[in-house]
Amino acid sequence: MVANVKEVKAKEVTVKRASPEEKRELSFKDEICVGCGICEKICPVQAIELGPINAIERTGVEESKISIDETKCVLCGMCSSVCPVDALEFDIDEKSIKEIEGYPKLIKSAEISDEDCIYCKACETACPRDAITIARVLPDRSKLVTGEIEIDKETCVSCGICEEMCPADAITMEHHEPTSAEPTVSTDINVDKEKCVYCLICKKSCPVDAIKAVCRSCSYGEYDLNPEDTEIKGSSFIDEEACVDCGWCQEICPVDAAHVEKAFEGELLIDQEKCEACGACLEICPCNVLSFPKEEFGKQGAENVRAEEKYCIYCGACEKACPVEAIEVKRTAVKHTPTKSKSWEKKMESLKT
Amino acid sequence: MPKHIVSGLKYLTAVELIRDGFSQKDVANILEMDRSTVSHYLNGRNLSWNSIEVAEIITNFCSRDFLTLTYALLNDSEKTRIIIKTCSKKKYQAKVEDSCIGCGLCADTCLMNAIILDDLKAEIDAEWCCGCLMCGDVCPTNSIKISEEKNGS
Repeated sequence: MVANVKEVKAKEVTVKRASPEEKRELSFKDEICVGCGICEKICPVQAIELGPINAIERTGVEESKISIDETKCVLCGMCSSVCPVDALEFDIDEKSIKEIEGYPKLIKSAEISDEDCIYCKACETACPRDAITIARVLPDRSKLVTGEIEIDKETCVSCGICEEMCPADAITMEHHEPTSAEPTVSTDINVDKEKCVYCLICKKSCPVDAIKAVCRSCSYGEYDLNPEDTEIKGSSFIDEEACVDCGWCQEICPVDAAHVEKAFEGELLIDQEKCEACGACLEICPCNVLSFPKEEFGKQGAENVRAEEKYCIYCGACEKACPVEAIEVKRTAVKHTPTKSKSWEKKMESLKT
Repeated sequence: MPKHIVSGLKYLTAVELIRDGFSQKDVANILEMDRSTVSHYLNGRNLSWNSIEVAEIITNFCSRDFLTLTYALLNDSEKTRIIIKTCSKKKYQAKVEDSCIGCGLCADTCLMNAIILDDLKAEIDAEWCCGCLMCGDVCPTNSIKISEEKNGS
């Protein structure tokens, strides 16, 4: 008789079943799990149980967000195919069912087009899961403003005023204590032309007019600026494992370079009367959908908790976390790739509420 | 003793296979025996007649007992399949209902290798089904219906 083998390594759990014909493996990553309980809902054999999510999130109790009973699990893979954050992975003969035809998978994605991206990093800052990294190479500053600068070292009295005034820290002097052999306060003065922006502050502040400087941009305009020199190059990276397709990047992007497709459609309803503003939902939400409206706090008729539904993935984690049943998450559509299996189709449909 | 029963089962299988039109050479290949041993078997030599009687009783056990006992004696799934398929006198109809979730437990359990998965659904090859019903026992959704074929030969 084939039996399941369970392995627990740190916060990763795997359940395996191997026969001569086939090897099946379910793996669960606790740090990715958002505690929504969709897996518990879809499991056809009640092998998954959602843990004390509130306690885990709020008190940091060391428990797994879900537990998988390997004596009940039949390794069908349904939990994996509906996990909205891919915390559950299911492989048959070491191939993910997401790549096996016939297995339905949620249609969800997040992409940043490098063609449109201006590398402003707004998405990187906004991403509630820290899944985005924007790497950018800035233009060479010295190529954007050009000019000429020269210090007449004979005239210079080494007062250090220009060094102190320079906003670009481009001027450096070699200060030293004068000696009878070297009766000066500085041995040299230099301008770093990579740093100089030809603002002419040094020239204007020099008490002995030792500095000659001119800004080409001021004199001739920007006609000789090479557009290639002003280009900001970069690349964007989305960590698929951390990304939950919430849509923050898409909403915050000023140039429409981010595109997010969500698997679930639905409605997020909050009963402000029932809500006691405990904040459990704020902490559990993986998408930063919920917030306390600061200005109106305590005002008559004000919202206790505010939801910005455009970031919601309708996972339902907040509904489960709410201790006073003030939240209802309705799922009206579950977008997935087709399957010929009637039982799977029915199960996918059962996620609608 | 187990060896004698195995010999008896092989004898019965050899007789059936010859009756089905296989040559002694084929039979030797299928059962992985020497041709001379097959010949001896078919002539009733090198065999205690009592072991054939015991083997005959075993073939009349209920399907599951016949299968599990034979597998326990041979410890070889390929030969077990041949012996069961050849000596089993009953035919079965197998139906997998749409409630099947394609977990593959039945396929992993089936000693006759009669089950494959196709589009997340189990498919049972009735030709090889021996009616042991072990698949139905492990099915988490109770989707397998096996029935004995009453009409026909």
